[in-house]
Amino acid sequence: MVGLPYDFLANPLGAVRQTFEKAVASSPTDVDPAAIFRGKDWGAVDLFRDFLFEKGGLAQVPSIDSSSMRWLQPNTLVRFRGMVQDMLGNELYVGAFKDGSSWRTNKFTDFSPIRLPPACETQLWERHLVYCVPVPGQNSWVTETTSTPSTQNVSSSTSQHVGKRGRGSEDEDMNLNVESDNGDLGSSPNAKKQKEHENTCSSSCLSDDLMDHGNDSVFGSGDSNYPTCLVKIYDLPESHLKLNDVFEFIGIYTFDPVLAVHKDDYDDPMFDLFEDPTVDLPPSKVPRLHCLICRKLDTQDFLSNPLAFEPLSNVARGIRESLLSHLTAILGNDELAAQYLLLHLLSRVRAQVDVMSVGKLSLNLTGFTRESVSIFGHQLTGVIQKLLPFTQDITLTLDYLNTATLQPRRNNKTGRLVAGVLQLARGTHVTINETCMQSGTLSSNGIDNARLLKNLLELQKVEYDFEYYKLEMSADVQLLILSEAKSSILPADLVLPFSPRSVVSINATIEDLQAWRWYLATMRSLPCSIEPEMNLMLQDEMVASMQEDKSLGCAELNRWLTMTELISASFGEKNFSLEHWQMIKELERLRKDRLKEKAR
Amino acid sequence: MASSDFSPSGASSPDGRSSPIANTNSSPAIGPAGRSSRRRRRAPSTTPSPSPGALLTPSATPSASVPPSSTPSSFRRRWTRRHPATPSTPMSADDNLPPSSDAGDDDAVDHDDADSAPVFVWGTNISVQDVNAAILRLLRHFRDPREAGRGDGLLDDGKYMRSVHRIMELEGGESLDIDAHDVFDYDPDLYTKMVRYPLEVLAIFDIVVMDLVARIDPLFEKHIQTRIYNLKSSVCMRNLNPSDIEKMVSVKGMIIRCSSVIPEVKEATFRCLVCGHYSEPILVDRGRINEPTRCVRQECLAMNSMTLVHNRCRFADKQIVKLQETPDEIPEGGTPHTVSILMHDKLVDSGKPGDRVEITGIYRAMSVRVGQTQRTVKSTFKTYIDCLHIKKTDKSRLLLADQMDCDNSTTNKIVEDENADYQDKIDKIKELSKLPDIYDRLTRSLAPNIWELDDVKRGLLCQLFGGNALKLDSGASFRGDINILLVGDPGTSKSQLLQYIHQLSPRGIYTSGRGSSAVGLTAYVSKDPETGETVLESGALVLSDRGICCIDEFDKMSENARSMLHEVMEQQTVSIAKAGIIASLNARTSVLACANPSESRYNPQLSVIDNIHLPPTLLSRFDLIYLILDKADEQTDRRLAKHIVALHFADPETQVQEFIDLPTLVAYISYARKHIHPQISDEAAEELTRRYVEMRKRGNAPGSRKKVITATARQIESLIRLGEALARLRFSEWVEVRDVAEAFRLLEVALQQSATDHSTGTIDMDLIMTGISASERTRRENLVAALRNLVMEKLQIGGPSARLVELLEELNKQSSMEVHLNDVRNALATLTTEGVVLLHGDSVKRI
Repeated sequence: MVGLPYDFLANPLGAVRQTFEKAVASSPTDVDPAAIFRGKDWGAVDLFRDFLFEKGGLAQVPSIDSSSMRWLQPNTLVRFRGMVQDMLGNELYVGAFKDGSSWRTNKFTDFSPIRLPPACETQLWERHLVYCVPVPGQNSWVTETTSTPSTQNVSSSTSQHVGKRGRGSEDEDMNLNVESDNGDLGSSPNAKKQKEHENTCSSSCLSDDLMDHGNDSVFGSGDSNYPTCLVKIYDLPESHLKLNDVFEFIGIYTFDPVLAVHKDDYDDPMFDLFEDPTVDLPPSKVPRLHCLICRKLDTQDFLSNPLAFEPLSNVARGIRESLLSHLTAILGNDELAAQYLLLHLLSRVRAQVDVMSVGKLSLNLTGFTRESVSIFGHQLTGVIQKLLPFTQDITLTLDYLNTATLQPRRNNKTGRLVAGVLQLARGTHVTINETCMQSGTLSSNGIDNARLLKNLLELQKVEYDFEYYKLEMSADVQLLILSEAKSSILPADLVLPFSPRSVVSINATIEDLQAWRWYLATMRSLPCSIEPEMNLMLQDEMVASMQEDKSLGCAELNRWLTMTELISASFGEKNFSLEHWQMIKELERLRKDRLKEKAR
Repeated sequence: MASSDFSPSGASSPDGRSSPIANTNSSPAIGPAGRSSRRRRRAPSTTPSPSPGALLTPSATPSASVPPSSTPSSFRRRWTRRHPATPSTPMSADDNLPPSSDAGDDDAVDHDDADSAPVFVWGTNISVQDVNAAILRLLRHFRDPREAGRGDGLLDDGKYMRSVHRIMELEGGESLDIDAHDVFDYDPDLYTKMVRYPLEVLAIFDIVVMDLVARIDPLFEKHIQTRIYNLKSSVCMRNLNPSDIEKMVSVKGMIIRCSSVIPEVKEATFRCLVCGHYSEPILVDRGRINEPTRCVRQECLAMNSMTLVHNRCRFADKQIVKLQETPDEIPEGGTPHTVSILMHDKLVDSGKPGDRVEITGIYRAMSVRVGQTQRTVKSTFKTYIDCLHIKKTDKSRLLLADQMDCDNSTTNKIVEDENADYQDKIDKIKELSKLPDIYDRLTRSLAPNIWELDDVKRGLLCQLFGGNALKLDSGASFRGDINILLVGDPGTSKSQLLQYIHQLSPRGIYTSGRGSSAVGLTAYVSKDPETGETVLESGALVLSDRGICCIDEFDKMSENARSMLHEVMEQQTVSIAKAGIIASLNARTSVLACANPSESRYNPQLSVIDNIHLPPTLLSRFDLIYLILDKADEQTDRRLAKHIVALHFADPETQVQEFIDLPTLVAYISYARKHIHPQISDEAAEELTRRYVEMRKRGNAPGSRKKVITATARQIESLIRLGEALARLRFSEWVEVRDVAEAFRLLEVALQQSATDHSTGTIDMDLIMTGISASERTRRENLVAALRNLVMEKLQIGGPSARLVELLEELNKQSSMEVHLNDVRNALATLTTEGVVLLHGDSVKRI
């Protein structure tokens, strides 16, 4: 395609319309041309995909944030990363209309480019509306790497798309990687400076954000720096997007000042009653994005420099060692706690079998006091924030339980889902500090909240309140609990008395952090499989363990197996091995000893 | 001639502003009294809209005036809010002609067809005459095949003719409900047309009905609304898409919001401020009222003097209801969709928030105007459903609960859904019940993820099906509900079982013993803060009347809360005497409780009573008590290991067993509870007595010193209940010998676990009844005797006191078994009551 008559970035709608007209013109005459393109792409999206991923256009696409909101022009190509916080259903729109003798399209826009001629032939098409917010608990390092209009994401995103597009694009990928490296060089000093700044300003600013998040009910996320976005999805089955999924949307940003003011002059009760969930979302605050391409993001997509190599176990081992020693230092030289913490950080829900969630591993570190929390707890949360993209930090107090809204709830008056603290993206890490809990009476809200937390811990499910019924949504949240003694409000999978020996304060280098982030994200997603003969050996092992220790139950063995999988993953191995099983048994023995010691 | 159109209030067809019909805000109005509407006039549709929004009527010319025939009665009706017009189905407009003028011809589309040219619905190949004739045929001749067998004289008329007659007799402005299945059975072509072009076909329907009515009784002047329901297929709310627009759809959902009733102007009357002249009523035209700019009276002709007279206007009721998807239709990871439903007139307030309903209506879209004043239209549309018929469906829990009412008296008027898929379901369930391995299959399907515990599951299954409640004429009643207690080690998935049963059971209530007080479980009286009235509020047990009340952590329940359960579990009522209210509420509930052993792990050395600190009186009210213990044996260990590994690594081998899915299981159980009432056959009764006697005899086995009770009258009641449940489970009307045998087996399995006296190895009901086994009792008696002897021997009356420890030592010297200090204390307490000794702290003194 030489000499494109349209600019993908500045006038994407031009491309959409031109391709539409071309497609209409080339379609057979005996069928209604507009009807065939209902719910289908006519080649426009392919064109954009080609431009973005093959020609490296993605790097030039600005992303929506508070600063770019000021200068972004309507009807340009933008991108947005966020979590699907609410689904607002379908919207019908005039997808195509006949202007004189030729068909024109309104796809990917809110209003027609030219006034609809009166009494014209129209086609109704539909699109889905989803309301997206910045991922709750997103850490600043994530946005630093994405907000710079550099290209780090490009390579990862392309590699994502390879699978979709099939072969033939890999060469392009290589080019992109080279490009992205260059981009990285340009932006890195700046990023470094910011990071240092961030290191010094402790986690307090973040917890402010979180408080905000808890209070804010309208926009779902209190992070005012990053706007929320109303995304209009075309041609995708609705099931493609799920609540709480993290997505990147690339599409056309529209802003219509007429729409911005329209809501106040409704006298007609009809309009009031056919209320529009988007009414609370003024376009000036919540940009509209007509999605051309969207893709689901994984934690890896948030890394600043994805290391390109296949997770070799040697590399993994090296990084594992350094991370473990760092964690040990953070935890006051408690190596056992560090081991468990590492496993905990690698856990994810692998499967939901009826009421069981396989793969979760929540950890309860006991032995904290208010004082030691201020030292180790803060260090710990600080490190976790730097390692994982989405983290939340909850200080559990009686007051918090009684007043906070943890449960997401549909407000049927507005038709919107009001986010609760527990509406979290998959893979979010939550640290709950229970040391400040006092004795007192729980209100009914408090009881509900405690139950929600307990359900999340035990079942990895969060109940959403839809007023007349409740729906359980599955979650995948890593929960770390810091408490004085074993928490009974929050029954974790593992209870480990924490015994620090010294206070060390160390800071990790950027390179280390990056390596660790990559390590955690990659190893976490490693699949684990088992050979058939190993399967039998494992069963024998289990039986033997049960014979040895009569108190072993389903829960323990299940946990051991989970931990074994995690420890294999921590070494970058995909296969189950008995050696790791033995390591876990040993770890568990040490933990039990320590539990006994504490009990004495 | 008034112009009116098919689109109800404010609705517009998708072509939005361009269509003259689209924005019309007028619902078709039925004429005032005395003017039966016979004629249909349409504003000519000038729009090239693809939507089939209009009927093309060759002779129609719009004229916007209403005949000035204002009799007093019609005047009154003009401002009556609940006038009979039902705008949701478009109706024909007014015509001044007497209704009888052209009665008699079969073709109801009278005037328009004067020129006899075939009239087609615009944009379609539907001939108005054909449809007209088809509808007339349907109404006149359709006979319900289900009624074919009955031979009463009424059957000269078809089903719907009878309905029409009934409506006319009742004199109500009723609606004629037409089952779409009937339409389909009678004339599939008409059905297709009706679903695809509902506006047009329904209009013809109305005309035909009115015509019919007029022919029967020319003086009948109320409008009869045709309401279609029970479409062949209903759409999932999230699958409504642009192609459904202007079609008849049926959706199921739950009402979440109702707007207040909106009066909508249908006809406006203006008065001149200058001379007081009333204008003729002006019909709403396309959502607007054309306000007269000047007085029409020749003498006045004042400009801009007309003012609206509210109480002379005619209004229609309108309401907007939000319907939300029910949980079963929401895919994983999705949020429920909602859709707006527009209700008119009679349908207003027919559903309340929280109702599950099935709506039949026309799916429509309305363009969004950017501003009130601006005529520009956004390119987006709002969609809604114009409701034609609303049916409360509630086939899930609430209705099931009603179905559990085993009243036979109601069976003759079951108006339940006779639709095909309900029948289908019943057939499927019956099919299932015939399977030879249904018992095992049901057992497997009950909480399939909870591994092992087959006998417990069988017991729970019996509880779900329940026995027959019996009420004697004397007033005595025997419960049919089976109560089960699960006691077991922590981590043996008791709570999961409970949760599962709670899901399965209609009206199941799940509470945790720790959190519930007595009032929370039973009922309590509270004072209304505003009115000061005392209100009786039901607690969990009353709420689960005819259901299962699952109580977790039963052992952690407070003592007096538990004592409330005594009454519930045997008498099945809750009595309340508080704040001036004395009431006895029904609580015919099965109790499923689970408890942890008092020392957190079950101690096999102790009896159940010692293990769970529950009063024996309460324990005896449980039909089955299961101990769920972690028993170590290699077989189970291996199975457990396999199970866990399979959880982590999907093993293709394990997925061979066939399960019955949850909804089917629920349906199966509720069907059985409703329809099956098994009786005990003679052989079964004989077997029952024989085995019961045998069971009681077992206590008298030679060798045992004392009579040990192995079964009591309560057990035989339990056995009968279990037997009935087992028969019900097979959909059998008779309790057979095998049911009795299985009931005995279940009871014995439970007894063996809970009532086995560990020191003798026999089953001892005393353990459950009094908490002390017979052997334990003899042991205690022996100890007291020995102690008495000792005291007599060692201590003098009035002499120095002895220390307790010394006595213990002495006893241990004499006795072959080791005696504990506690036992000695207990024995001494007995002696104190006998007046032999005096116990002062640690010292014992003889008196």
